[in-house]
Amino acid sequence: MKSKKQKRQGDFQKVQLKVGKKKPKADNATNVNFKSKAIHLPEQLKHADSGPTTNRQLDIKDLLSKLHHVNSNIKQGALVGLRELLSGQPTLIELHASAVLSEVAALFTDKDGSVRAAAVRLLRFIAQCIPPERVAPFFPLLSAHLTCAMTHISEAIQEDALRVLDVLLEHYPGLLSQRHTVLLTNFLELISQKRKSGTGQDKAGKGAFSLTISTNRKVTAQQWRLTVLLRLGSFLQAVVEERPLEEGVISRIGLGMWAGEKGSVTPVDVSWEEHAFGKGKIQVFENSGAVPSPHSAYRLRPDSKAGGGMNKELCSAETVQGFAGTLVPLLLEIWVEAAGGDSVQTDSDHLLSAEAMALMFQILTILQLLRRLTPQRDQQDILDAWFRNSYLTDFKHHFMKNFPYGLREVARHKKKADGKRIRQQVAAGTVAGTNVEPLALNVTLCQVMVTLSLRGQDHIEAEDADWLGPIRVFIRETLSNGGKLSLKHLAALLEVVWRMIVTQRSRVVTDDLLQAVFVQYQQRNLAVSVRTLLLRFFSRLYIQEQQNHPHIARSRILACWLASLPVQLVQLGSRNPQLSAQLLETIHPAAARGNKDLLQSLQKNACSIYDPQEGCVVVLPAESQKRLVQILHFLPAFPAELLACLSQVCNTGRVSASLATMLIRSVHLRSPLSGCSSSLQDVPVKDVDYLSFFFTTLTGFSSEMLRALQDTDEDGLLPSSTLSPLSVFATTLEQFLHHWDIVEEVCHCLNTLGSRAQCFDVIQNAINKNLCGLVVVPDCVCAAILRCVPRLLDVNFLPSDTLLHFLSDCCLSMLNLLLQLEQSARKRDAVWEACFAALSTVPRLLRLVLQSFHVFDLCEEELPVLAQILSLLLQHTQLRNHMMANASLLQHIIQDLTHFYGGETREQWLTDLLYCYSVTLSGHRTNMGMRDIY
Amino acid sequence: MSAPVEVVLSADSAGQLFNCAVFDPHSGSEFLSYRGGNTSSRSLTVLNGEYILGAQLGKNFINVWEIQRKDQLQQKIVCPGIVTCLSASPDGLYVLAGIAEAIYLWEMSTGNLLAILSRHYQDVSCIRFTDDSSHFVSGGKDNLALIWNLSSVVQLDSSRTPEPRHILSRHSLPITDIHCGLMGPQARVATASLDQTVKVWEISSGEMLLSVLFDVGIMSVTLDPCEYFLFCGGSDGNIFQVSLCSTSLSRDKTFQTDSDGNQVFKGHRNLVTCLSVSMDGTLLLSGSNDETVRMWDVQSKQCIWSINHKGPVTNAAIIPAPANMFLADSHPAVPLPRFSRHLNPSEQGDTTGSGGVCLRLGANTQVPEGTYLEKADELYSLMCAVTDKSVFGDGENTKVRVSELEEEVKTLKKINKDLYEFSTQLLTKPN
Repeated sequence: MKSKKQKRQGDFQKVQLKVGKKKPKADNATNVNFKSKAIHLPEQLKHADSGPTTNRQLDIKDLLSKLHHVNSNIKQGALVGLRELLSGQPTLIELHASAVLSEVAALFTDKDGSVRAAAVRLLRFIAQCIPPERVAPFFPLLSAHLTCAMTHISEAIQEDALRVLDVLLEHYPGLLSQRHTVLLTNFLELISQKRKSGTGQDKAGKGAFSLTISTNRKVTAQQWRLTVLLRLGSFLQAVVEERPLEEGVISRIGLGMWAGEKGSVTPVDVSWEEHAFGKGKIQVFENSGAVPSPHSAYRLRPDSKAGGGMNKELCSAETVQGFAGTLVPLLLEIWVEAAGGDSVQTDSDHLLSAEAMALMFQILTILQLLRRLTPQRDQQDILDAWFRNSYLTDFKHHFMKNFPYGLREVARHKKKADGKRIRQQVAAGTVAGTNVEPLALNVTLCQVMVTLSLRGQDHIEAEDADWLGPIRVFIRETLSNGGKLSLKHLAALLEVVWRMIVTQRSRVVTDDLLQAVFVQYQQRNLAVSVRTLLLRFFSRLYIQEQQNHPHIARSRILACWLASLPVQLVQLGSRNPQLSAQLLETIHPAAARGNKDLLQSLQKNACSIYDPQEGCVVVLPAESQKRLVQILHFLPAFPAELLACLSQVCNTGRVSASLATMLIRSVHLRSPLSGCSSSLQDVPVKDVDYLSFFFTTLTGFSSEMLRALQDTDEDGLLPSSTLSPLSVFATTLEQFLHHWDIVEEVCHCLNTLGSRAQCFDVIQNAINKNLCGLVVVPDCVCAAILRCVPRLLDVNFLPSDTLLHFLSDCCLSMLNLLLQLEQSARKRDAVWEACFAALSTVPRLLRLVLQSFHVFDLCEEELPVLAQILSLLLQHTQLRNHMMANASLLQHIIQDLTHFYGGETREQWLTDLLYCYSVTLSGHRTNMGMRDIY
Repeated sequence: MSAPVEVVLSADSAGQLFNCAVFDPHSGSEFLSYRGGNTSSRSLTVLNGEYILGAQLGKNFINVWEIQRKDQLQQKIVCPGIVTCLSASPDGLYVLAGIAEAIYLWEMSTGNLLAILSRHYQDVSCIRFTDDSSHFVSGGKDNLALIWNLSSVVQLDSSRTPEPRHILSRHSLPITDIHCGLMGPQARVATASLDQTVKVWEISSGEMLLSVLFDVGIMSVTLDPCEYFLFCGGSDGNIFQVSLCSTSLSRDKTFQTDSDGNQVFKGHRNLVTCLSVSMDGTLLLSGSNDETVRMWDVQSKQCIWSINHKGPVTNAAIIPAPANMFLADSHPAVPLPRFSRHLNPSEQGDTTGSGGVCLRLGANTQVPEGTYLEKADELYSLMCAVTDKSVFGDGENTKVRVSELEEEVKTLKKINKDLYEFSTQLLTKPN
């Protein structure tokens, strides 16, 4: 109890405060001797769910909700804010795509122009960011709003709808083209209105729509129509392009007309060497097993299934006809107004203002696109026929009346006055349309009209003559007036020419038109792309159509063109390998088809094409070289000069060895000696020329070169000595190996000739005559001779002494060379192989070689060389028997050698030689001994 | 001795001993020989198993022998030009001849000339039918090979010129040989060319499947019946074997270093002009310009026998032995008509001139059987069924079987448990 009391007193002790003393600090006094600094926070911490905002602290939800505001300024501000927000945070677009798109699309029909403009800008921005496949789910909504705007009662909204269309066309042509059913009628309604039923019956031929003219637009009716037609044109373009086309159609359209066809099966390509060494495994039939492959074009009946959902509607001729039936009368009306409006002012009808010209150009483009809407060939033909039946007279009447059209020069001041209008046009997006060249208009007109001409019957041709005539004249003049045409126009013109040639079937027309194209072709300084286009035009014409159309095949111009090809090839040289390849692509099939004009020209220029110094065959890349060698196979005759050229081409090393062997083979095949070609009346390669070609190729050096070599004094020359009777000219390794490959092929070809004895006789004579007297001989020639003689030698044939002496000289020189070759194993192997083959097949040669070893004539340094040669010969087992046949001679030489050397110390080489000798001899002895025993 | 199933038919360009002769494929012994003239390359053909037709070398007629009358030349068919290649359809109804650039088609029942096809630009070098006679392939010296549908060629009215079904234009030098595989319109075609390649195509689509580049020109080509291998005769005398289906299950072959030699048949010294494989795919026949015909064993690549001819071999083929060949007193069922030399479609309608009736030989032999597509489908489903059954089994069956096995496992476990309990009882029972 007491302790409790004391405790309580301790808790509440009174502190006595006294005067003069400092007041003691309280226990809970705050220590204030610290310093503080301010932390600056520019903005508050954001909440995680609020998301990024704009400068005005509005997030995306706010902005979207503001789009529903009554005030248009706020709406516009929200749109601008959205653009700012989204461009700052591109990831937001993906997240909120559905909300943003649906809200923006709703604003297409807003009353206020500035809001719509902002909406279009935003849409353009969004479209840049989202790929088509992401937009696809929202596209029905977008297109619904677009349709709504296009059909809106307010004209300003209609105009802006076209801009939305522009954006969508630019970024999502594929998606848009699927909506064609709705959009096409919308287009019609933009420039026309449905006729009342009563009037429709009166003008039954004119379709159910009539053009509208509204006076309260800012632009004239013509300009308005132009803007609409521009969009319609690009929309149709999108429809045509986005559709998977069939192959046949692609090859007929525009620039792609002469593109190569591509197969659907990728073939397996292997070369034999890869396969033989197990590198490439072939698995050919995996894609065509028991079930025919899906790519197979073989059909028992045509496929009844159409492609996709949208193709079902627009690819058949009937649907296109239905649409064209309403559109074409409208277009014609517009045309008449455009043409008529001008002709009032001026006296010359064919001169048009720029605006009218643009309008007409659009009309023609749309007509062209209409025809291309059907992908299948047969459908296209139906459509063509329908157009012809329904509209030929109209077209003739309106289009052809003032053809060809020109641009009316407008005076300067007038233009100034029109400045305002032009600015409006720019604003309306018709910039592209306003500056249409008259040439483009005329060419397109030709294209449209020519599709109406039918193939075939005579009476139709007569009918068409009146309107095809001016077109022909126009084309001829355009092409042949010497002016340079742009690639696009030229392609279009060539398409027209092609169509006219194929449909007209008359030789006069063909020649007339081709002449004009040819004039264009003959111009100098054409751009490469233009030149290639023209070249392709001709070559396609020749290769594809010639068979079906005799009038093309007989065309004088085409023959002339073909004949000019080899000359061009020569003139072109190495300047443009691509163009040369293109030329060869035509020359090769033409030569294969035995075209007389081409072959004659080829024959005439053969020597310059196959010139070994600067002919095409050496300067062009390898692929073209191969073609040139293959073309050789079709040459009608091989005169001696050409064969001389070819032989040099083989040996100069500027074509690869494999190509050279190919060349040799094709000469071989063309000769009647090869037994391959059947009995022909005219012989392409004369036997004499054939053999001299092969001999020259075998030696690799022409007689002049060899003669020149006798007098030179070069580094590569190894001087002659007792051991090397010929002075050897060492060729480079590369040249030697190249020549070695060629010799192999030559030997093979000569080997297959009918009579081997006669063949060898000829070669022997040639060697005797051309080579035997020489002092300096290149090593490759020696090797070649040593190689071919044993291969060609018949068992029953005795070679002449001159030849044998020459061969022994060669052999000795080569053996001598062999010992000096250290650097390249391949060359050494080749040389040894040649020597060995010669020595082992012709025993007399070995004897001659051994006989020519005069030990006493040698100087001290040459003795080891001789010994090395001998031991080389002795070491080889296959030669051993032959060596033993000459045992006495051999013994004699070795005795002389040891005697003559007489040195104090036995050198290594002598020991080696004696060892080899004893081994060989003993081996032989035991054999002999064995034989003696039995 | 029983009659052989297959025989070798070969001819050379010299024709000293015989024009063409028939040999035993296993021993190389000569059975028969037919005399008179000689035969040009790729122009010996057997018509309907009753006649042998061979174009005379360098002349404008075709020699005809009845197959059982060996030594006697039966007749000569005079043609409008030198025949460069000849082929009779397997059903014996049509004969095709390449004469210069044109292909002539005769109907055998009447001898009428049905069509002259001139789509080649240079001499036709080879013509082959598919095994069901529905298509044929022609190759020429203009680097082109054309695939034709026989019915479209025959049935067209004269106003339209017949068009080939496909144009194969990927070769860059003359085509030397063509081989048509089996399976009718679904067959594969192999073409050989001097441009050192062999290409394999599909008849149905005209697409190229394979191109093999060699280092020599190829003069002849053939496929074995299973189309496992492609045999190519080179101009240097080698025969190259290309395996078309690499079995990826490697049988430890990687260590063998014989990959160089084992795919080449070496022996000929000159151009290999003709190749043929026997029905079972074990024997390969080759004829060469070195005047020999050789028979090879495909598996071991050994030469079994060789026969020396007196000139370059122009034709050599292994053919199924015709029934009439060894019956000396048999007769051909139908006499050979006179071949007309001019295309005259008006005569086809009224046959008053010859007094004959247009008769299709094969009509009664054609039992209505399934098309190749149907057959292939059937075969495929059969094969699928077999593999399905053996590998995966039927869905229903497996379920039953699994449940059976499970039950068995259960009973076994139970027995095991019983045994265990029994033994523990026995062991722990206090004695």
